[in-house]
Amino acid sequence: MKLTSSKSGRLAMEKIGLLVLFFVIIVFFLFPVLWVLSMSFKTVPELFYVPPKLFPEHFSFDNYVQVLWMADIITFLKNSFLIVGGTIVGCILLIVPAAYGLSRFRFKGKNTLQFGILIFQMISPLIIAIPLYRYFSRLHLLNNYWSLTLVYIALSLPFACWSLKGYMDTIPYSIDEAGRIDGCSRMTILLKLLIPLIVPGMISVVILIFVRSWAQFIIPFILLNDSRMFPISVGLVNLQSTGDTITTHLLAAGCILGILPTVLIFIFLQRFIVSALTAGAVKE
Amino acid sequence: MEKGKTAKAPSSMHIFLKRVSQGPAPWLAPLVIVLVALFILPTLEVIRYSFTDASLLRQNYNYTLKSFRVIFTTPATYDILWNSLVFVFFSVVFQTLLGLIIALAVDKGERIRLHGSVFVRVVALLSWAIPGAIIGVVWSFMYTEAGTGILITILKNMGFENVSFLTNPDHAMPCTIVANVWRGTAQSMILTYAGLKTIPIDIIEASQIDGANAFQRLWRVILPSIFSVISTNIILNTINTFNTFDMIFSLTGGGPGRATEVLALTSYSTIFTGYNLGRGSAYAVVLLVINSLMAIGYFAVLRRRERN
Repeated sequence: MKLTSSKSGRLAMEKIGLLVLFFVIIVFFLFPVLWVLSMSFKTVPELFYVPPKLFPEHFSFDNYVQVLWMADIITFLKNSFLIVGGTIVGCILLIVPAAYGLSRFRFKGKNTLQFGILIFQMISPLIIAIPLYRYFSRLHLLNNYWSLTLVYIALSLPFACWSLKGYMDTIPYSIDEAGRIDGCSRMTILLKLLIPLIVPGMISVVILIFVRSWAQFIIPFILLNDSRMFPISVGLVNLQSTGDTITTHLLAAGCILGILPTVLIFIFLQRFIVSALTAGAVKE
Repeated sequence: MEKGKTAKAPSSMHIFLKRVSQGPAPWLAPLVIVLVALFILPTLEVIRYSFTDASLLRQNYNYTLKSFRVIFTTPATYDILWNSLVFVFFSVVFQTLLGLIIALAVDKGERIRLHGSVFVRVVALLSWAIPGAIIGVVWSFMYTEAGTGILITILKNMGFENVSFLTNPDHAMPCTIVANVWRGTAQSMILTYAGLKTIPIDIIEASQIDGANAFQRLWRVILPSIFSVISTNIILNTINTFNTFDMIFSLTGGGPGRATEVLALTSYSTIFTGYNLGRGSAYAVVLLVINSLMAIGYFAVLRRRERN
């Protein structure tokens, strides 16, 4: 009796300790975003209250309407979707065959190639942006979504190729063999047999590309100087640097809108992300 | 040469082409071409620029070692390297520790079926989905020093008067590190969490039966089991943090003065606001060398894991 009561007492203590810790974690990670959310609903006079109020007095969606129609935020968001969409399509077209090649062939130098691909992920995008700026300005390719998207694709290729290849490795080789016995070419095997099986892996990769390309800053910052072409990350920083306190509430609303797409994807498609993020880093 | 060969033995060329087309080359070629054109060539170009006196404003340039001589004799360079080191070291230490604590807490919470565990996991990972540039803007709101700022108001209510954040050269770096820990803990936490899930439950139970207390369990059983995950995580974190540009740019722009300027920012501003392509590229090469050293460290860890 005594043993169980002390044990349940300890469990209760543990629970209280954990809950306190949970509370601290939630406050630290959620508060900054909630504060900006609160600011985004405030009216201009409310923003100048000293001390500030934690919550807006009445929720006004005016800022959002204003942001969408007056500031360029809606354009920035559209631009981001366009660039990221192009990146996803281009990336998938390149990594599906590459993942197949790396997963299904044995050849000399394969390990070197695989690690070579991974190295690119560790190089700061700034380094490649410097010469690309010079090339593109000479070729009149600055402020051009085609060239910009190509750079986005290149930056996404290393991790995207690695995760998809890892996923394809989990598909048993017997599938390929069955296809070959039926007389299918490699292309048919990939298109008809393997691709349907790697769809979950492709979804994870697409989400990763989306989130990382959405966040891309330095490449568009350097390769674009027409502000109407900025993606959301560059557009907001531009608004921040040109704006004064009058635009604070617009900037806050812009931040929330800029965060929203990736955060929603994250919340609804978590399980795909967690598996993709940890693939490769954790071996079971 | 090629032509002579083909003329002599057209069939061998044919066989060669056929073999290439059946091998992995056609599958990998597009990827390799893009990577060569957009990574390898530009990287080589930056190295080449660093040995020139090139400027963004004119086309002609001469080869010289002046850029490196200048950057290594400028005292500011060492301030910037020191800033980068401080920024990376403290960010990585706190991201790793905080990631470990949250992962352990969430894992424990899930095992004793505590409500809210999943919610905590989602919240702690949220920052991963937020663009770095926006994180900088969000934290610049947090650090507002006018009476309308939130942190300053909270601190005032706790009795701290005249607090300063980003305008004070001594406080700017710690504040930037806090924002970066907020940003980077998610990655660290998810890797550690996934590592914890791979520890067989019976090992932990066995140590419990042996009478190990919570601290001994952590130190003797859990940490050794996830050691390789943590070391991978530390290296990846170090690389990411070292390459940080977006968040610092929108949070402090490197200021006040050079208080939060890191290497990537220096390289950028030397080239794009100072138009000194040669010197900026020399800074970029320093960045590249440090990146490469970290990559070597990463591969050493990977290889050791593969052997085990």
